[in-house]
Amino acid sequence: MWWEKKPRGNEAQDAGHASAAAVPPAGLDKPSDLAARNGEMPTVNSDQTVVGRSTILSGELSGKGDLLIEGQFQGTVNLPENCVTVGSGGEVKAELHARHVIVHGAVTGNISAGEKIEIRKTGHVVGDLVSAAIAIEDGAFFKGSIDIVRDRPLQERAAVASRAVGSES
Amino acid sequence: MRPLTEPQDLRRSTGAKPPAGRPSPALDWIWKYLSDLPSPRILDCGPVWQATVDVLVRRRAKIHVTDLLTPLLFDEAQFWDRKGKVATFRQDYFLSQMLPMEPESLNAIFAWSLLDLVPRDVHAPLVEKWFSFLRPGGLLFCILREPRLEKGMDTLWWLESLTTLGSRGGEVRRFTYPVVTNREVENLAPEGSVKNFLTRSGRREVVVLRSDGSGR
Repeated sequence: MWWEKKPRGNEAQDAGHASAAAVPPAGLDKPSDLAARNGEMPTVNSDQTVVGRSTILSGELSGKGDLLIEGQFQGTVNLPENCVTVGSGGEVKAELHARHVIVHGAVTGNISAGEKIEIRKTGHVVGDLVSAAIAIEDGAFFKGSIDIVRDRPLQERAAVASRAVGSES
Repeated sequence: MRPLTEPQDLRRSTGAKPPAGRPSPALDWIWKYLSDLPSPRILDCGPVWQATVDVLVRRRAKIHVTDLLTPLLFDEAQFWDRKGKVATFRQDYFLSQMLPMEPESLNAIFAWSLLDLVPRDVHAPLVEKWFSFLRPGGLLFCILREPRLEKGMDTLWWLESLTTLGSRGGEVRRFTYPVVTNREVENLAPEGSVKNFLTRSGRREVVVLRSDGSGR
């Protein structure tokens, strides 16, 4: 992972360690804590970057490796080969581009996924969805458009969606 | 979050066979009317249901969702200003919750029971806003209660198939506002046409067509 923009203030320390998620540094939640707190929340694996609950980050995030956001994130996430999970405590104001996106928390921004977008029952999403498959649990809140596209490259679909959103606003 | 149950869970919890859904004469008419459109653009003003999304995706529809129903049913206080002696409905705030859409960009709007859930003075601006989103010839689909139906305000619907409706709830809460009459619906869309479809469920299905300019 690399950060194109510097994180704000004293969050820099957390961000600097964000890629070494096997042993979360101070300020990041332990995987066991996350699992216990969130019940059905996904488990954290050694290849996963965790933005802890007490962390606030802004900027552009890209690279390889799965991402779990339990804190606040603002900007852009571009992980086309990986899974991005927004935990139940996560608050994201960002464009999310990934292979697979799972939302338990709050996302404001467009989401595109090459494989699948899942909005779980505690999820709250305001934005447009572009993916090959979408699963929305009952109880989830969603406001936006749904575009299921299978015959065009994801990047092209995302670009079309962004242009459409831009022209509507 | 709202205490809703997924259609699939509802079926499991009752232990019954999955319901086939209630045939909807209005939906039957709507899909014939839209049959020449390969990818109709549809705005759903109810909660997002996986079943509805699946049905519309199979129809190759472009789906927009702006849930106005469940906030009205389960978080209604946000829409009322109670500072004065008389509580007033925050009409502008309510209308601002609508997803911003391009003018004349939609083929259909599924309003479900929204007209039964808002005060009378909100009907005109709400329908006016919906009509601004509809293309000429576009349609508005509503489900309105009949006078004999006193309870069922909190009924929620989804598409089981293109022509059948699934529903849940609606056995407890009484309707707050008087029945919306056919004449009132016609007055809301003076330049459109209104089609009423009677059902045995205590509700009528109403399709309001925006004039396509051809005078038909």
